[in-house]
Amino acid sequence: MAETYPINIWINEERFKELQAAGLADLLKEELAGMKVLAVPCTAEERDKVLKLFPMAKFDAATTKSIELLPKYVKDKIYEMVVKRKKLNVMTEFCQLFERAGDAFWNQEIA
Amino acid sequence: MEMIGHGGKPLVERVIADKTEAKKKIAGLKTMPASRQMATECISIAYGFFSPLEGFMKRADVDAVCKKMELADGTLWSIPIVFDISDQEIAEYGIKEGESILLTYDDNPLAIFEIEEIFTYPKDEMAFDVYGTKEEKHPGVARTYAYKDKFLGGKITLVNEPKIREPFTPYFLTPRQHRMKFQEMGWQRIVAHQTRNVPHSGHEWLMKHAYIAAHGELPVEQMEVIGRAISGILVNCIVGEKRAGDYIDEAIVLAQDGLKKYGYFREDIHMTTMTFWDMRYAGPKEAVHHSIIRANLGLTHHMFGRDHAGVGTYYESYEAHRLLMSIPREKLFITPIFVLEWVYCPHCGEVTCIGLCGHWNEHQKFSGTKIRSILIDEVKPTRLIFRPEVFDIVMDAAKKYGFGSPFVGPEYLAKAKPAFSIEPL
Repeated sequence: MAETYPINIWINEERFKELQAAGLADLLKEELAGMKVLAVPCTAEERDKVLKLFPMAKFDAATTKSIELLPKYVKDKIYEMVVKRKKLNVMTEFCQLFERAGDAFWNQEIA
Repeated sequence: MEMIGHGGKPLVERVIADKTEAKKKIAGLKTMPASRQMATECISIAYGFFSPLEGFMKRADVDAVCKKMELADGTLWSIPIVFDISDQEIAEYGIKEGESILLTYDDNPLAIFEIEEIFTYPKDEMAFDVYGTKEEKHPGVARTYAYKDKFLGGKITLVNEPKIREPFTPYFLTPRQHRMKFQEMGWQRIVAHQTRNVPHSGHEWLMKHAYIAAHGELPVEQMEVIGRAISGILVNCIVGEKRAGDYIDEAIVLAQDGLKKYGYFREDIHMTTMTFWDMRYAGPKEAVHHSIIRANLGLTHHMFGRDHAGVGTYYESYEAHRLLMSIPREKLFITPIFVLEWVYCPHCGEVTCIGLCGHWNEHQKFSGTKIRSILIDEVKPTRLIFRPEVFDIVMDAAKKYGFGSPFVGPEYLAKAKPAFSIEPL
């Protein structure tokens, strides 16, 4: 299987309950003393696309091999899409929707 | 009272505190503006953070630092402290060897600079000798290459003391003030924790580890009573030039102090202060420099962890330890304490040292990257990982000082006020 590079979305109590209610709690991983994280995978191609679309983000090649420093509003929207689609592999669609809608994307609800 | 600093030499203090006298001394001097970095270093030199340096280095010192990691007189020193200048500025401001000029900052008088030498030094050699690389993507190398073509060497005397802005005001102490504070606390041994981070509990345990090691064979019985500690931890935050993605200085200083404020460390064993210094990311060489600064503050011990002051993959994880171990004890005026990483072990259900716990396959590392990611998501971490009150302090600092973020972003870089200002004399 090809290597993937996660976007880590940390989950608070409220979101945990929401994911449990939606039957999606098994998508979560536990890290750092029981903290819950939604690791949204990116292929190498998706990773490069995310880094291009969001230049403030960085790929941590040295330690975690994850995409970091994405602003909260971007991660919130990714979370919303994972919940809607009930799956983790959403990043190609996410990037396409953002490219199509531009900044209006942040105010649109995921269909 | 004479105080002894690094090199076994008297602590340098070159400050004219009397304003009338200062005005007399600067009357008629040519003036030249100093950059933020140069102003910061003038302040550090004058108060003795860089003792025994009395000013910016002359060529012989720079050469000895680069080639032998010592000053021309043989005192251990690892990073050149230089004042760069262009030919155009030399002409424009009429700079001449043997004359004194007045450096200004914020258009106000800052320091008298006795120009003893105008010299050149090959920047690529300086970069390679200090950083072990000539690659410009190393931030210290980039800083060296950005120096103008000439350097001025000579003594500095501060004529106008900096005004430290809130919330930093209570955290800035000169070396003399540090020592007086330690005396007041009754501390015989003090261990430095160098930081540019807000503290997670991995950092907290590094401090505890270093404290216990530094306290060593001293008696403990009297410490059953709060207020009678005889050793302490000084968290000395580095405040200086920031890069995008760094924690904002306000969050660092306030969050570190929060560990004491909320009782994670007793108030009689923990203190937070700050030192102005632009990180060079020189790894092992920077570790030596930090040991020099902390010796000047009057500390007896200095904790060095993994990847001290490094960047990227330029230095090995424990290269700073090896360099410090290679320095003869009589040249290093502080005792280094080498510490391993602390991790969370789900098997033990606690934070533990990788050198102690046998559940190697289960360890969850305190990655700085992960902690940043958690803070970006504004998710309050479990208290085993990050103290809830410290989290609140960080988020509060983000709102008050960081334009909504605890991390340096374009707005912070453009709009945040420097930690100090120089007022009219």
